[in-house]
Amino acid sequence: MRPSTFAFLVGAAVLGLTPAASAQEKGGVIDVATIGEPPTLDAMVSSTDIVGMISQHIFETLFTFDADWNLTPLLAASLPTISDDARTYTIELRENIAFHDGSAMTSSDVVASLKRWLEVAARGKQVAANVEAIEAVDARTVKITLKEPYSPLLSLLAFNNSAAIVIPEETIPDGAATPLATFVGTGPYMLKEHKPDQYIQLVRFDDYVMRDEDPSGFGGARHAYLDEIRFVPVPDINTRTEGAIAGQFDFVDTLPVESYDRLTTEKSEPVLLEHFGWPIFVMNTKEGVLSDMRVRQALQAALSTSDMLAAAFGDTKFYAVDGPMYPANYAWRTEAGVELYNQANLDKAKELLAAAGYDGKPLRILTSRQYEFHYKMALVAQAYLEQAGFKVDMQVVDWATLVQRNKKPELWEIFITHSPFLPEPALNFILSKSAGGWWDTPEKEKALTAFTSTSVPEERKAHWEELQKLIFEQAPIVKVGDFASLSAKSPALEGFRPSPWPAFWNVSLNEKQ
Amino acid sequence: MIRAAFNRLIGMLTVMILVVTIVFVIVRVTPGDPAAVMLGPEATAQDIEDLRARLGLDGSLVEQFGSYVAGIAKGDLGQSIFLGQSVGTALWQRAEPTFFLTLFSLLIAMVIALPVGIASAYWRGSLFDQTMTTVAMLAASVPSFWLGLLLIQSFAVSLGWFPTSGYGGPGTTLLERLHYLVLPAVTLGVVSSALIMRFTRASMLDVLNDDYVRTARSKGMSEWRVVLKHALKNALIPILTVVGLTAALLISGAIVTETVFGLPGVGNLIVSAVLRRDYPVIQGALLIVAGLYVLVNFLIDMLYLLVDPRVRY
Repeated sequence: MRPSTFAFLVGAAVLGLTPAASAQEKGGVIDVATIGEPPTLDAMVSSTDIVGMISQHIFETLFTFDADWNLTPLLAASLPTISDDARTYTIELRENIAFHDGSAMTSSDVVASLKRWLEVAARGKQVAANVEAIEAVDARTVKITLKEPYSPLLSLLAFNNSAAIVIPEETIPDGAATPLATFVGTGPYMLKEHKPDQYIQLVRFDDYVMRDEDPSGFGGARHAYLDEIRFVPVPDINTRTEGAIAGQFDFVDTLPVESYDRLTTEKSEPVLLEHFGWPIFVMNTKEGVLSDMRVRQALQAALSTSDMLAAAFGDTKFYAVDGPMYPANYAWRTEAGVELYNQANLDKAKELLAAAGYDGKPLRILTSRQYEFHYKMALVAQAYLEQAGFKVDMQVVDWATLVQRNKKPELWEIFITHSPFLPEPALNFILSKSAGGWWDTPEKEKALTAFTSTSVPEERKAHWEELQKLIFEQAPIVKVGDFASLSAKSPALEGFRPSPWPAFWNVSLNEKQ
Repeated sequence: MIRAAFNRLIGMLTVMILVVTIVFVIVRVTPGDPAAVMLGPEATAQDIEDLRARLGLDGSLVEQFGSYVAGIAKGDLGQSIFLGQSVGTALWQRAEPTFFLTLFSLLIAMVIALPVGIASAYWRGSLFDQTMTTVAMLAASVPSFWLGLLLIQSFAVSLGWFPTSGYGGPGTTLLERLHYLVLPAVTLGVVSSALIMRFTRASMLDVLNDDYVRTARSKGMSEWRVVLKHALKNALIPILTVVGLTAALLISGAIVTETVFGLPGVGNLIVSAVLRRDYPVIQGALLIVAGLYVLVNFLIDMLYLLVDPRVRY
């Protein structure tokens, strides 16, 4: 890809532009190579990115995020009316919305869907205990009543995985216990055929009713230019790379950064999404040596995150040594507490360890080679930690074992994961006292309650600053830095907007290419 | 013959009972959990418990084993946790690519291995024999994922003759789907040919010096007739064994090759089921694969009886 084209794509991602939208024409079929078969198409049940990426074409939520990660209505007619006590949300629904089975969306579908979401979705459960009632006021109005004010509610309702999707009431199985048998949504594409491990075939939904606004991020008009989208699982990363270079696929998700230079051919061009996400060392604050905050601070002081990032990603094109929990183009960006980032101060670490009376009990780092960069970062961390006086026990397991063991506090001290930057801090598991490393201190709970209780943007930003400062001071996690995501697309694909969850509405094929 | 077949059938049944039990136990004691895989690293322990209950994984091991065995007795291998379909359907859908991959790679292997093995034995010690023996050693040592990627880069990326991976989209014809199988079949065929060639050569060497071969020659029979009719027929038993075992290995899923080429076959199904701990699929697939293995062995044993009437069980 020419530098100017690349700069334009990245710029478009930041600014939320949709290039060449006016010149796009209907028609065409695209093949999208994915990292594997999604564990389910039930977007409520799973919070994995691959489920969000595929299912967002089929299902829609009441709200979504625009290009600046602001909330914007999707199935709702507008943003809700919130009562003065911030406990009641009145949501007016759009008219004439049809499901893929031809039935019309009503408030009773929305109520039934939201009730299932509270019961089965991890993000729904996050708010479920605080929900007093969800009711249909009339055929086009839904009211949610909370016991206490909770400002992240709309972000939870807007997110595309573990998602509050709206589905027909009659397709919801008896009780939440049964998995969805049919996948009927309101999105611009509908499921035609799913052959596991071979393809997921989506076709244009001709009765889709678009929003009137210009496209912006996940919001605004969703033009279904393409006739079909086929998601093809290609689990082997090398085969995916060769498939991109050969031009077999129109879009290829998640490629190794080493392949960047090879991707510029007549049939493919690299798509680099800078500041895609952040690798995280989650510390067990509940049990074991890291339940002592001083030991966590020692660990944080010892690590050179710049060396860890260099080992994991090689070229600075693919990573940024950046401490704040959000990159520069997010409203949540703050420098609070970042002086404690990337210290690589072994003397300070030794002092803190001595003060904590660390007895040499092994620090079990739970990691996997499912993501090679996790493992590479763990190796560098091990070297620094051992120099600081820690005894390290590296436990390299497969991903299925890791995601099981990390729920058991007696089995690990650190586990390594990563996340895209999420539009709202409260969506992130690191603030939960029942997930991740079970971070639960009075200071954090006080700051978090203040953060989630107010809807005033300036107040929320101030409380978030306080929370980020606490993350550095109490070290429940170590943010390693920012990393980029590399994908590839066909030069014929127009209107594509790089995103952590690539979407193919507003995308067309230019057959002249 | 009937008695031998009956004895073999009793043995097969015992093996299958052991397979059912051992696979169930191994799958359950292996760390990892399908609910945790589905929900990801950020889920809470309570989320996992809730989903386990919804998936019916919260019963005791004895209860789960009981219902699994009861299902098998009724011909029901269970329901996949991730695929939204029964294990039987999942296996059936994957049978076609695996069947054709096995067939073609075996054909390629035999077309390469039999003539080369016979010729190497006939011209033992010649430059041809030494070259072919070295090539066979190399082919046996080449990892199939490496050879697969090499073929992808050469014939799919550079020349564009074949697709890099997959098995075709909606509406593709059988011929189009078979096009996707060329590179994986060549990969497997080349790797498998080495073993068959070595066995053919060794087996032919054993018989070429036997008295009946000498007698045939002394009667003035042509060399080709001596080698292909008299010698080869008697060398076939060990060759049949290795061809049969290779076929069974391929049916059970050319796991690495199917993964590299993204083929939705039985091997790929097993790999993905293991990685995400889809218990019913692992159990069902291994049961069928073990059954096929046992069946192939049984058929080879019966073929021995036909090829060599002196064989007794």
